[in-house]
Amino acid sequence: MTRRAAWVGMALAMTLCSSGASAQMRECRASRELLDLGNPLEIARTAVADERELRIVAMGSSSTQGFGTTNPQYAYPFQLKMKLEAALPGVAIHVYNKGIGGQDVEEMTARMRTDVKPERAHLVIWQVGTNSAIRRVPLEQFGARLRAGIDIGKSLGANFVLMNLQYVPAVVALPDEEEYARVMADVAKEKGAGLFRRFEIMRAWYKDGMPYSQFVTSDGLHLNDFGQKCIGKLLSTAILDTIAPKQLTGAPAKPH
Amino acid sequence: MAGMAAAALPVIASGRDIRLDLFRGLALWFIFVDHIPTNVVSWLTVRNYGFSDATEIFVFISGYTAVIAYARMMAREGWVRAAARIYRRVWQLYVAHILLFVAFSAQVAWVSIARDTPALIEEMELLGLGQNPYQAILEAALLKFRPVNLDVLPLYIVLLGFFPFVLPAVVRWPLGVIAASLALYAATCHYDWNLPAYPENKVWYFNPMAWQVVFYVGAACAMLGRQFAWLDRFRRPLAVLAILYLLFSAFIALSWHYNPLEQLIPNWISRHIYPIDKTNIDILRFLHFLAIAWLVRLAVPAHAAFLKWRIFEPLRRCGEHSLQVFCLGIFLALTGQVVVARNEDSIVAQIGVSIAGLLIMTAAAYGAAWYKRGPAVEDAA
Repeated sequence: MTRRAAWVGMALAMTLCSSGASAQMRECRASRELLDLGNPLEIARTAVADERELRIVAMGSSSTQGFGTTNPQYAYPFQLKMKLEAALPGVAIHVYNKGIGGQDVEEMTARMRTDVKPERAHLVIWQVGTNSAIRRVPLEQFGARLRAGIDIGKSLGANFVLMNLQYVPAVVALPDEEEYARVMADVAKEKGAGLFRRFEIMRAWYKDGMPYSQFVTSDGLHLNDFGQKCIGKLLSTAILDTIAPKQLTGAPAKPH
Repeated sequence: MAGMAAAALPVIASGRDIRLDLFRGLALWFIFVDHIPTNVVSWLTVRNYGFSDATEIFVFISGYTAVIAYARMMAREGWVRAAARIYRRVWQLYVAHILLFVAFSAQVAWVSIARDTPALIEEMELLGLGQNPYQAILEAALLKFRPVNLDVLPLYIVLLGFFPFVLPAVVRWPLGVIAASLALYAATCHYDWNLPAYPENKVWYFNPMAWQVVFYVGAACAMLGRQFAWLDRFRRPLAVLAILYLLFSAFIALSWHYNPLEQLIPNWISRHIYPIDKTNIDILRFLHFLAIAWLVRLAVPAHAAFLKWRIFEPLRRCGEHSLQVFCLGIFLALTGQVVVARNEDSIVAQIGVSIAGLLIMTAAAYGAAWYKRGPAVEDAA
């Protein structure tokens, strides 16, 4: 009987512990500065305004593919499509998911042309950096491949938004993950690409007290359902703020 | 061959080891509770206190019981008969998986058609099935398309499908099988092997070539009587090691929930442990399971009296009818997810749904036992 009482006690304690996490800590959020892509994305803006169409290629690795979610629908590219459709009625939104788990910058640059060209993309979201950091691709080589990939996509007439690394235990433990994020910021500026600061946004979550279990799967590397959905939502907000600020009626970036 | 197997047989524990049923039942309960994404009750499962979760328990026990069931059959009736029986089981698993796939998809469709929760509908769409249903159905039949949470049975099917060819070796050279299994596991992790899945470029979430290590170590353990006697000479140091490792992994796992704990972990430790891969069952996960298994083996002897307590009977019943209970649990976990989401993740809903689901699973297990006990009418099949 004491054993049973102990179990009940433990159950109660655990329930209290986990319910202690306040609702505010669970909120999906990012400051307005962090959501600034730093580029006007002219091609995408024109496509929305004139053609009433936006064709997006989501290039990337496991985050793009949606590994770690319980449903591929939660991966950020699908979330992006949903949010853009909701915010831009009458605009045909196409999001082509070209995520292949495990790939890094070299493999993606190699398939940039074949994956972007047939979709006639106005915008390429390029989620990259994490696997390069894990595999210790030399920074110079990383930057060079990144430039080459962007050049290919731009020659096909697309704007770029680079999505940098995720802030998760497996990445934070690396000795130089911030160097990769810095190279991405430099290359984005140099090549006239937008930059979605996933690393900084997620770091802000963590610094504000959001525990990893809220947004990372148990492998310590991939985003879970919440993390993916939230990144999808914030990316949509960032893109909408850039290309269609006037049409943005009800969903401004949440300042905190 | 039959003679050789018979010579090795006395090693196998005679009679049904009810620990297996009990812990398999427990694993099934854990799997159900953990599959409801937002659920405080999952704090009562192993998942939040270490690297491994109920999947390891389930796969390990499956390997262990497979040897117990089929080695005896092979000794009595020969390899062909045993292999035929194994394939009959594989077929049952396959049928169960396809049925579960249909029931699961139907439930998703039903939720989507009952259009009273628009947010849910958008998110619940089974991708792949919606866009290209014909191909998705074909891929599902080939086990390559396995939507949400339908990953475990295909793994089990593949593992058991190869089992007849390993069974004679496990019976004779369990240590050799462990060595071969570890070698395949290491090669899989090193060369990043996996089986193809659908949609293109996806992989099996539970990689059979890696997860086989849990199954075959479990299988070999059923044959390792003498070797365990030898290991028992080090039972105390091993137990101390196991406890230390469990404490370490509990600390890491709890740090995912409490940032102040997380900040105590030195960077070099994080660098070595992450990522803790589930697809290729990271060695940390496997060791964590082995540590638990070792301590359970010491703490719960096969004939411990409390195993037969009535309070544990529901668990044992669920373990005895694991296939039905597993399928039902996966199905109900989706229902639970919908109910919890509809009630805005309220804790009451989470607890209520968990209890209701476990009750239904248990009732189903008792029902299955009742059928089995009924008058022995020979099926025509």
